[in-house]
Amino acid sequence: MAGAYKCARCKQKVEIDVNVRCPYCGHRILFKERGAAIKELKAR
Amino acid sequence: MIPVRCFTCGKVISPAYDEYKRRKEAGEDPKKILDDLGMERYCCRRMFLAHKEIIDDLNPYQ
Amino acid sequence: MEIVFSSINDSAARFSITGTSQPFANALRRAMIGEVPTLAIEDVRIYDNTSALFDEMLGHRLGLIPIRTDLDCYIPQEKCSCEGAGCDRCSVMFTLSVEGPAMVYSRDLIPQDPRAAPAVDGIPIVKLTKDQKVVLEARAVLNSGRVHAKWQPTTTCGFKNYPIVEISDRCDACGQCVEECPRGILVVKGGRVTVVEGRLEECSLCRLCERACLNTGIGEEPAIRVRSDDSRFIFVVEGDGSLPVREIVQRALLYLKSQSDELCEKIGEVSGVTGDEEENE
Repeated sequence: MAGAYKCARCKQKVEIDVNVRCPYCGHRILFKERGAAIKELKAR
Repeated sequence: MIPVRCFTCGKVISPAYDEYKRRKEAGEDPKKILDDLGMERYCCRRMFLAHKEIIDDLNPYQ
Repeated sequence: MEIVFSSINDSAARFSITGTSQPFANALRRAMIGEVPTLAIEDVRIYDNTSALFDEMLGHRLGLIPIRTDLDCYIPQEKCSCEGAGCDRCSVMFTLSVEGPAMVYSRDLIPQDPRAAPAVDGIPIVKLTKDQKVVLEARAVLNSGRVHAKWQPTTTCGFKNYPIVEISDRCDACGQCVEECPRGILVVKGGRVTVVEGRLEECSLCRLCERACLNTGIGEEPAIRVRSDDSRFIFVVEGDGSLPVREIVQRALLYLKSQSDELCEKIGEVSGVTGDEEENE
């Protein structure tokens, strides 16, 4: 789970426990980081 | 991003978009640009006329 | 049957077929659109994509890129001995790796087989800003336009009946029809209306000229008549760059031939008559 999100303002890696809020700057908008898995899809 | 092909006839139109955009910003008449670019049918022409490029508006929010 | 090409190059052709029927012309049209196979990207493996477009959107755009196809070198996947696993007889691998700031173009797709490169180099795929990155692998396979439009070798592909324009002796050269014709195929010459040399094929059979003629008060019957020749057709075929148009037409005709041969054979099996006798009847 560690670093699954990124703060939209201070760009630091964030973990979500109770609140959706960046512990470093208090910003409430977080982006979910892209997983390491290779994504396979059909080109249609 | 401009669609790769014309929705209706399937002609590959996107390579012409860079030039279209540049000349349109220079104030040229879209009719003349599209004629020069070989966009003969009105289905392909509307792809350019009706397109709104939003990729530059989206990019800051990555 | 006679085929006359009025123009042909790698990307477009215009020709007329004489001495055939509408069903045959339509069969040829459908064969060119849906039965001539081409290469197109089908499977995409995305390793990294931090661009503004979703993976699916990116994959969709890749699928629409026309890829130069050598039909002697590739076979459809279902007919391949690898049974869908993907070998170099039935598929082409591409790699794409671009880091921003840059525009990703179709020329950035590096094919495993240099003959099967994208037919158009300058197709923009996605615009990247600083720190954005796209790394992916794509696999193109051979298939027909019947399955998905991305495998169609043609863009515009259609036919119309050959027009016949008849002008009777009752024409008084008033010029109303000349003015009305949206394609500009008529002209007043020597006290009569005639068709401009070489422009007859432009006629769209709209019959505005007939109506204009009637409106002049010439009587019950117009002096100009537009009919269509039921056994002669004008084809317009435009390719997307994956195959030269000449090859599209040839392959479509070969397809029709093999299909009819197969039908003859099957009928022969059912009725107990051999194919040769069938043809003689």
